[in-house]
Amino acid sequence: MSEMERLERLAERLRAVDPVMPSPGAKIRGWNLVLAAVEQSATARKRTHPVRRLVLAAVAAAVLLVAGAVAASADSLPDSALYPLKGVVENVRGALAFSPSDKLAYHLDLARTRLTEAEAMIARHRLDLAGQALSGMNDQLNEAALVVQSEQQSDPALAASLENRLVQAIATHDQQLAGLQGQVTNPTAVAAITQARDRAAQALQTSSGKPSASPGNGKGPSNSPHPTPKH
Amino acid sequence: MQPLGKAASDDDRPLIERVRRGDQDAARILFERYFDRIYNYVYARLGRAEDAEDLAIDTMTRSLTRLDLFQDQGVAFSSWVYRIAHNATIDHYRRQGKATVVPLESATMPVSADPSELAVEQLSNEDLHEALRALTDEQQQVLILRFFQDLTAAQAAQIMGKSVGAVQALQHRALGSLERALHGRTTN
Repeated sequence: MSEMERLERLAERLRAVDPVMPSPGAKIRGWNLVLAAVEQSATARKRTHPVRRLVLAAVAAAVLLVAGAVAASADSLPDSALYPLKGVVENVRGALAFSPSDKLAYHLDLARTRLTEAEAMIARHRLDLAGQALSGMNDQLNEAALVVQSEQQSDPALAASLENRLVQAIATHDQQLAGLQGQVTNPTAVAAITQARDRAAQALQTSSGKPSASPGNGKGPSNSPHPTPKH
Repeated sequence: MQPLGKAASDDDRPLIERVRRGDQDAARILFERYFDRIYNYVYARLGRAEDAEDLAIDTMTRSLTRLDLFQDQGVAFSSWVYRIAHNATIDHYRRQGKATVVPLESATMPVSADPSELAVEQLSNEDLHEALRALTDEQQQVLILRFFQDLTAAQAAQIMGKSVGAVQALQHRALGSLERALHGRTTN
């Protein structure tokens, strides 16, 4: 008998082996266990899905809320509930300004913003907040002046360019403040504006490293240093 | 045990979708369709009814609760179930610390053995089962799938992840090894 024939006979014998089947009891036990697992699995799926949806919805709502609040805070005024958020956003912007030019632009932009806020607060008769805004404007101009000053030694050409931008900004602010000063009658407001103009002039001297001039007498635009941009 | 034709694999798809949606009746149909086969497959590998029962239940539980892992991309559900059963069997061997079986091709066999004298018709089922368990893992698998489970070479190839030609060659070697193992048992 050839090998093929022998193996074919063996294969036929294997096919004839009676299949070993589970007992009925084993099958019932098996189904009960499988059913319990299937039910548990389905329950877990149902339980997980609503939770996931809820979490996703909450995250999306939080993102929208934060993004909306940040956007709305950009134009908020000192008497607004969103105003503190505006400060946070401004600080983040400041942290991202690395070059002297960017830093100067950042501080000048904030000075302009504070001045706008001061005008709005004066219009609403919130002189306390107007004073704070003007003080903030002067702080930003001082910071800008320090940026210019820090470049005087290392890069005089750059410092001159930066100083020119600072002078232009202060001149613009001074004009705006002078106009404002002519419109208000409240002595507190007048004093605050006068002080702001004097401090702005001091900032200009700080940028060039010159000693600070004595504060103005607060009598009006004619008493301010009247900075003139260099061209 | 009904032959597992291609039609059964096709019929599985709607049932699988229903089970995924939590339909217990569909799960019951799939359980009925495969439990006996898997029990038979595992029993042929292990030879112990208790272990076969546990592993068959474990296989069906995994199959019907982890359908998210089953992707119907060319592999039939039946093949996936057999693979789970095969892996469960291997895990069982590992847990039991069973030594790796030496392939019979490389085992020492009686030199004077004359396979033609083997009277296969007189062999008991138990002799066949025990001789089968002495074969290598793949040899056992191919003989069980082809002759105990009555699957085609193509179905066995899909379960084992081999080509049909490789399965046929493996089957030929497995039958030769089984013949020698049986002859060794009858002469000892």
